[in-house]
Amino acid sequence: MLLAIETSCDDTCAAVLDGPRILSNVISSQAKAHEGFGGVVPEVAARHHLELATPVVEAALAEAGMTLDDVEAVAATAGPGLIGALLVGISTAKGIAAARRLPLIPVDHLQGHVAANFLEPEPLEPPFLCLIASGGHTLLAGVRDHEGFELLGQTLDDAAGEAFDKSARLLGLGYPGGPAIQREAEGGDPEAFEMPVAMSRNPGLDFSFSGLKTAVLYRCRELGPEGVEERKADVAASFQAAVVGQLTAKLKRALKVGEWDAVALGGGVAANGPLREAVGKLCEEMGVQLKLVPISLCTDNAAMIGSAARYAKPIPYPDYLGYDAFASGESATPAVAH
Amino acid sequence: MDTVACCWRDGEVLHESQLGLSPQGRPLHATRLLEEVERAAASGGGWEEVDMLAVGLGPGTFTGLRVGISTARGLALSLGLPARGVCTLDALAVGIAEAGAEGERLAVLDGWRGDVFAALYSPDGERIWEPAVYRPGDLAERVAALDRAPAVAGSGAVRFRQELARDGVRIADDSDPVHRVAGRHVCALAAESTEEDPDGLAPIYLRPPDAERWRERDASQRAE
Ligand SMILES: [Zn+2]
Repeated sequence: MLLAIETSCDDTCAAVLDGPRILSNVISSQAKAHEGFGGVVPEVAARHHLELATPVVEAALAEAGMTLDDVEAVAATAGPGLIGALLVGISTAKGIAAARRLPLIPVDHLQGHVAANFLEPEPLEPPFLCLIASGGHTLLAGVRDHEGFELLGQTLDDAAGEAFDKSARLLGLGYPGGPAIQREAEGGDPEAFEMPVAMSRNPGLDFSFSGLKTAVLYRCRELGPEGVEERKADVAASFQAAVVGQLTAKLKRALKVGEWDAVALGGGVAANGPLREAVGKLCEEMGVQLKLVPISLCTDNAAMIGSAARYAKPIPYPDYLGYDAFASGESATPAVAH
Repeated sequence: MDTVACCWRDGEVLHESQLGLSPQGRPLHATRLLEEVERAAASGGGWEEVDMLAVGLGPGTFTGLRVGISTARGLALSLGLPARGVCTLDALAVGIAEAGAEGERLAVLDGWRGDVFAALYSPDGERIWEPAVYRPGDLAERVAALDRAPAVAGSGAVRFRQELARDGVRIADDSDPVHRVAGRHVCALAAESTEEDPDGLAPIYLRPPDAERWRERDASQRAE
């Protein structure tokens, strides 16, 4: 039995796995705590992780009907992510593991998103192409084995989910932006406003979303507060269509160059309905298999970390006592649009 | 700032270590704490012999507190042991008494950003001033208004010696161990305490996250 902990961003997560089988997958979302800031604030996130980490681990064990006596190894996200947040998860995992002389398995967060597809039921076997899009990352991963992936393309500026959050804030739609924009866009015309078709002339597989966010800002300025109120749904729908358009265009290009037989989606943005639909259509057109894991395995969770841990290198006791988490993308200021 | 571990049995110190900063000037919490804790446990005969975990709750660096507290919670959960939290200023004040102070004691920790964390204690160890954040000058003024100069020590007293050492306040040399929080005092206070910790090792931050202060500032500017 494997205990896994994930605290890289704003969700405190723990899971218990028996091989590829999920026995429990507990996610304690902090979205409410970050709502007023319009984005994830590193210090606020770290404080919440500290409060929640051990209760979430206890909940995951209870839900699995297990005790720590059943646990053979402890996995935790080592990075990339917010350093203060990662440190809480790693320190908790090290404490639990060291006291019982269990091995510790540090896991790469992005490999976790890829490995969500290896879980039962219906695990997807490599090779496949994985599009990972969330508030923290947007990338195309070429997956040829269980241990790693090849980075085929990534965002050159904002992550897709970040663009959703910032645009939602401009439209006064609240946080998190993804679900808020999807809801608002339902009543809107996706062709009402022209949005820049970013990266279309770029032959590579990289993404860019900062231009879209700026376009939303300009539309809002042109419309004025009353106009925004009136045309909110149209702006949201046009923005969403542009994000989905860019993600699927790059996915299509990657499918053409790479001869992949299957596509998988991961990350919080993969919960977006229109994106799922568009990718489904594309896969049908291209004659490739589409693997959609449940939304609880798309957004950050510990089951995916446990899944990746099955193929990662365990560090035996006591070699990990000095193990440190690694950070990336942490800014000193809150990630909000100004 | 320091990384401290201790094994304590009925007043007897079996192991005590106190690590400062790395050669690069970085705290060693994440990389050295668990190793030191394991060594301390081993000195007492291993985890089977340990009855309770004592943890410093701060104030201190936010990251340091979180590494210490989450490590302790992980260990406590894994071992099925109770864990008891101790205010770091309280532990520092015990050390000031141990060093021979007879009157009131002022424990002062460096709060960075030009601030200090401080609390005042009576000769018998009761808190007179609750832990709080001060500008050094404000703390000096509050101290000057006391009837008798207290014994002052801690990393904050070292850093702001010039501001604080006046009106009869004497501060020991920078290298004096009285300025550093010792694991044995954290253990002693935890052993003495009879209070149940309802929040389960809640950290003593004393400061809200910066983002909250910015939000309040933005809100007050908008209101103007
Ligand atoms: Zn993620």
